[in-house]
Amino acid sequence: MKSIFIVYNQAHTEKVAYMLDHFGVRGYTQWNGVAGRGSESGNPHLGTHTWPEQNQALLAVVNDDKVDEILETVKKIDEINTEVGIRAFVWNIEQVV
Amino acid sequence: MSIYGNAVKKPITTTMVFIAVIIFGLYSLTRLPVDLYPEIEFPAVTVFTTYPGASASDIEINITEPIEDALNTIDDLKEVRSVSRDNLSIVTLEFEYETDLTEATNNVRDGLSLVSDALPDEAEDPTIFKFNSSMFPIMMFAVTADESYEGIEKMLEEKIVNPLNRINGIASISVIGAPIREVAVEFDPRRLEAYNLTIEQIGAILASENVNMPLGNIEMGELDYPFRVEGEFSGSEHLSNVVLGNFNGQVIYLNDVATIRDSIREMSMDEKINGKDGVRIMVMKQSGANTVTVARDLNERMAELKGNLPHDVEIQTIFDSSEFIKGSISNLSQTLLFALIFVVLVVLFFLGRWRATFIVVLTIPISLIVAFIYLSITGNSINIISLSALSIAIGMVVDDAIVVLENITKHIERGSSPREAAIYATNEVWLAVVVTTLTVVAVFFPMTMISGMTGIMFRQLGWIVTITVTSSTLAAISLTPMLSSKMLRLRTRTKEPGRWSYDRTIKVMLDKFDAWYERTLAWSLYHKKVILFAALGIFLLSGVMSKQLATEFMPQSDESRFSVSVELQSGTRVDKSIEIARKIDSVLNTKYPEIKIIATSAGADDQGGFMSMFQSTGSNIINYNIRLLDVEDRERDIWSIAEDIRQDLSKIPEITIYNVRMGNSGMAGNNVDVEIYGYDLQTTTRIARQVADSIRSIEDAREVSVSREDEKPELRMELDREKLAMNGLNTATVSQALYNRVEGMIATKYREKGEEYDVVLRFKEEFRNSISDIENIVVQNRLGNNVKIKELGVIKEYYSPPNIERKRRERVVTVSATPYETSLGELAESIKTKVANVDMPREVMVEIGGAYEDQQEGFMDIAMLLVLSLLLVYIVMASQFESLKMPLIIMFSIPFAFSGVIFALLITNTTLSVIAALGAVMLVGIVVKNAIVLVDYINLMRERGYELDEAITLSGKSRLRPVLMTAMTTILGMLPLALSTGEGSEIWSPMGISVIGGLVASTLITMVIVPVVYKLFAIRGERNKDQKIRAKYAFLNK
Repeated sequence: MKSIFIVYNQAHTEKVAYMLDHFGVRGYTQWNGVAGRGSESGNPHLGTHTWPEQNQALLAVVNDDKVDEILETVKKIDEINTEVGIRAFVWNIEQVV
Repeated sequence: MSIYGNAVKKPITTTMVFIAVIIFGLYSLTRLPVDLYPEIEFPAVTVFTTYPGASASDIEINITEPIEDALNTIDDLKEVRSVSRDNLSIVTLEFEYETDLTEATNNVRDGLSLVSDALPDEAEDPTIFKFNSSMFPIMMFAVTADESYEGIEKMLEEKIVNPLNRINGIASISVIGAPIREVAVEFDPRRLEAYNLTIEQIGAILASENVNMPLGNIEMGELDYPFRVEGEFSGSEHLSNVVLGNFNGQVIYLNDVATIRDSIREMSMDEKINGKDGVRIMVMKQSGANTVTVARDLNERMAELKGNLPHDVEIQTIFDSSEFIKGSISNLSQTLLFALIFVVLVVLFFLGRWRATFIVVLTIPISLIVAFIYLSITGNSINIISLSALSIAIGMVVDDAIVVLENITKHIERGSSPREAAIYATNEVWLAVVVTTLTVVAVFFPMTMISGMTGIMFRQLGWIVTITVTSSTLAAISLTPMLSSKMLRLRTRTKEPGRWSYDRTIKVMLDKFDAWYERTLAWSLYHKKVILFAALGIFLLSGVMSKQLATEFMPQSDESRFSVSVELQSGTRVDKSIEIARKIDSVLNTKYPEIKIIATSAGADDQGGFMSMFQSTGSNIINYNIRLLDVEDRERDIWSIAEDIRQDLSKIPEITIYNVRMGNSGMAGNNVDVEIYGYDLQTTTRIARQVADSIRSIEDAREVSVSREDEKPELRMELDREKLAMNGLNTATVSQALYNRVEGMIATKYREKGEEYDVVLRFKEEFRNSISDIENIVVQNRLGNNVKIKELGVIKEYYSPPNIERKRRERVVTVSATPYETSLGELAESIKTKVANVDMPREVMVEIGGAYEDQQEGFMDIAMLLVLSLLLVYIVMASQFESLKMPLIIMFSIPFAFSGVIFALLITNTTLSVIAALGAVMLVGIVVKNAIVLVDYINLMRERGYELDEAITLSGKSRLRPVLMTAMTTILGMLPLALSTGEGSEIWSPMGISVIGGLVASTLITMVIVPVVYKLFAIRGERNKDQKIRAKYAFLNK
């Protein structure tokens, strides 16, 4: 079991939702309207007057075999236009109740 | 969920809401009446009081003054004026605009009840008369006839007037100048004396002969017969055989002593239409009825009714005020259509995409239609003001949609799906869109609060622009994202765009322009001083040139009709006046091919009492109503035609005073009044004449007239009471006898076919037209002795005292003049200098008033409005930027807008009227909007970490197109308004000219000045800010 944390520009909302359905990921937790900026490039997405764009964040816990597929798809989404911005981070899940 | 989110997710609901709005709006549109101006009631109440037998000055002291004093403290009263004439006092109370006249009338009634005891017993009770704009005739027809002329009144009454009166909204239709039938019995006084008869005796005989009488019932056998005498004359010819008595055994018949004439009454008024015998039909509408609807119904009915008239009767329209209204409105609607086309083209030019253009342009009809709903709900009409408001709004309503659409397109091009882009891109900009709309509202909303006449005109404009702009913003954040999500898609880039495609033509051009602007801006930022001094120079230059600007209240319009009144020597006989009238007719007919109809009336009609409220009549006055060809069909305008007519009139020596006045359905006159206050009538009359003479010497002054009428010569019979007593006569008997012989005695009525005609007994004309004729009139005393008038007293010639006018409870004489080929303001200035040179006694006070006074008030109102708008705009911007400094930077563009207005007005030779000034006020909102877009973006770039200069040039380059686009849509939207010619265009084109001038100038300057000023203000401020932050967190750096 791994957890995948995906942070993405609001503009990618529908694509991400489609991706999760596509891979049969049922469970996830989502935060709407979060702010953040990338470590290397891209504009900050802060939801302010200066930087009006906003992010969404999503945490899904999936079986190990799905991780690669999902990361690949995230990469594809990112490649549509790197300016828009999407990132995914993966952790191990120690325990589940 | 947000409004745009919902709109995108529920496209059908959104579409339905907007379709509902459109349907409701179109329904409102079909029900909206058409009028020239918003409804304006002139708030005045008039109090008439008659006091028979009193002279003007008696009336003034006994009637006018007490009434004025009693009514002076009524609520909302603006001004009291009065005229005291022989027998009559007229007190006019002018109230503030929008006073409830019903309440005011009640107050007047209360005031009068307090004073009624103080008025003389012989005076009749004062009558209150509410002045109403519907009292002015809306249409006038000329009816000419040949054979049918004699019976024309009856025929018109039956076949035209009565059926027309049944049309909804018509208050009254009157026939003016119709011949009236009477049976005249005219005596030769010598024969009367020979047979020892008097007019009174003969009158009594005729009255007693012309009788039908029931005599009771006679019962004969089984029947009951009503019994009666039928003595009435069955034909007017029977009169001549009436037996008057016996003289030396011989029977005397009426035709032995008199000539009997059954024809038209001797007329003191002569009506001619294009030189033919004719009458005029005047139509007045009910208060509140719509002129255009009434006129349309009336014309339709008239066309049907004409068929019932004999062939020689011809009916022509002298004027139809609905025509000018319809002409102006259709003209303006066309203008609106052109504006729409221009705006569409501009949007297409800058966006280069059909679908995007469609989405943006769709907000135009929607927001304009909302304005119709507003008009219909508030009971307003489609008029010049509401349509020009739409014209102004048309360029502004697309702005919001453009901003939203641009951001959505940007997102789509970055790879978002149209649906996501629509939601999130709108989310990013909606607040900015709402705030820019607020600044526009900040300018237009105060307009809804001005008072006075200017207020009535511009309240509608303020509301309409506020409402359309607000609804366009609503559409921009709901309809625009929804349509974008459905219609926009990512353009696949064709590798090789066609030679004439958008990308290789206009886009290249625009890119080059962007680059050029970037270089200019960079240069300006390094040469701040040069730019600032140049700007200051331009501003000062315009300030100096503004002195050249001519001013007036309302632009005057060419309505293709005017009236001329010609006065001959006071006391001239009607015959002589008619002769002169024919002379003028022939001049007008031969020299002026532009004239379509001339209606002439010479002399006074004693029956036309009501008309005399609007134009003065008298035996020496000739009135003309002239209708010209339509504006499009002639080369000279009405002013030069009028001027030529003035020249021609001045060549006729018999004419003492002539006035050529333009028909103007608007409310604004164009005159400068010099009001001379002073108690002594002779002094003020003398000064008024001096002032009038000095004004006549001003080259551009026309229609110079003095309100105090010339003294009229009159003949007075002064009876000697002793002689009367000696002859057994009294004043009443003698006066009655004279009246019967000169004016005529109505002895009885002759009946024919249900109509009654007067049988009038009087002396033949040749026996009553000189003083000696009158002196030789014989009066019989109770003993039957004949006494000649000259034995009873003398006839003397007098000059009767003039009318006495008062204003603000002081005696006043008004000298008024209208400008020709100059402006109202300039004329007022030169009159002021002339008046200053007239030697004034100390007790006389002089003031300048008239339309010039209205103009001053109007400009004051607009100045207040300007201050109010500036403050509101500042408030809105300060809160938007959370800065007190930024609004100042932005407002630097406003003075240059005014410079632009001044230059534009000077170049086009347009006067600065209230309308043009209003255009200048509106500029505040429009101009500021452009600067906001720029400054907001510079701020953004600064916060995103760009260096000051770089941020400025970058923003300039990026915002150039949006700014140009919004400016161009507004400019081109107003262009048809400014360029339009034809009916009524004089009224609104100044607004177009001033907005265009101001906007062109301010756009050019904004793009350079505002960045430069920004730099000046920002250098210090921004550095300080950075240092402060660093100081605050200094401990972290260790």
